[in-house]
Amino acid sequence: MAPLSSYYVFPEWLSMLTALLIGTGFGFALEQAGFSSSRKLAGMFYGYDTTVLKVFFTAAIVALIGSQFMGFFGLLNLNQVYVNEFYVTASIVGGVIMGAGFIMGGFCPGTGLCALSIGKIDAMVFIAGGFAGAFLFTESYPKIEELANANFRGPVKINEALGISPGLFTLILVAAAVAMFWIAELAEKKFARPEITNEL
Amino acid sequence: MNIRKEISVLLLLLSLILALLPLSANRSFVAKPERLLSEVMNEGVSFTVDQVAEFIVREDPSVQLIDLRSPEDFRRQAVPGAVNVPYPEFINSDPDIWLGNRNIRNIFYSTGDLEPDYALVYARGLGYGNSYVMEGGIAEWERTIMQTRFTGNRITARENALFETRRRAGEMFTELNSLPDSLKSKFLESRKFSAKKLDGGCE
Repeated sequence: MAPLSSYYVFPEWLSMLTALLIGTGFGFALEQAGFSSSRKLAGMFYGYDTTVLKVFFTAAIVALIGSQFMGFFGLLNLNQVYVNEFYVTASIVGGVIMGAGFIMGGFCPGTGLCALSIGKIDAMVFIAGGFAGAFLFTESYPKIEELANANFRGPVKINEALGISPGLFTLILVAAAVAMFWIAELAEKKFARPEITNEL
Repeated sequence: MNIRKEISVLLLLLSLILALLPLSANRSFVAKPERLLSEVMNEGVSFTVDQVAEFIVREDPSVQLIDLRSPEDFRRQAVPGAVNVPYPEFINSDPDIWLGNRNIRNIFYSTGDLEPDYALVYARGLGYGNSYVMEGGIAEWERTIMQTRFTGNRITARENALFETRRRAGEMFTELNSLPDSLKSKFLESRKFSAKKLDGGCE
């Protein structure tokens, strides 16, 4: 049954249409959850609002559990699901740059586009900054190519690297997520900023 | 119990079930395409039929021949010491069963070069650097080993050693393949991989 889209099965226009529908649904859900407010996202950094952590982590573990059950019952071929390739150095450097951009701008790329679509000026500036960054990256690529490709590990999965079964890894991750949610709620009480959260 | 706690408990229970299910751990391709390409194009990943013949004659324990042809072809004609892992089975099962022992050099062969080369890229891509191919497959074996003839008056020591190895390997090949069908099936069956046996431990 799944994956829904494949280079060999669907024509290009249908793949694009699938992506558009999924993207629209995702954007709608983000906007409904209030993620187009940079103050809500910055709350994750300052600790007064940890909705981002809870929402994205819940989505990740629900998808993880769902895909593994679907794989087990033969409804999803996990061998055909694309796994991102892991460049260790690029992930660390890119992660630091993205984190800095995240806290300075108050958005991640997805929520930035979401806020842009409802006409937020700060999001427009943020997205323009994103494009400028992409331009700079492309233009300077020959100089940073070695760094960008350093420590390539392939599309490796964490459970493979740890040498444990996918099911056991899922259990550990879900337990860690639940513990984090609990800590996040404690943080929300400790760093409460009612003057901001009441407005959101 | 509030809804958040209920969802947390539900997710934990579901993941506990997953941890107990026998999920197959799919392995990922770990090699970078350019590096993999240069690795498999390197001459160091293939053995000539003469080298393989020498391994067979010496009964080298550090070498395992893997025949990727169908069981029917394998039963009809097999290189001594080889085990049969049909190509589709090799691609669709956990390669650790066949290639897990890193101290053993696994040499793929088939009728020609195509399937062994695919198997080589697949195995090396998954990080099994102990994978090799036999150049030319069974066709080359027939040409070089089985049809070797000594013609002429003089032979150097080196040529003599090569000729002897080919002759001995050829004899072993003929002996194995001229066994009656019932004996051959039993012999080949005994050389089949068994995951249980490979796991080791006490029984």
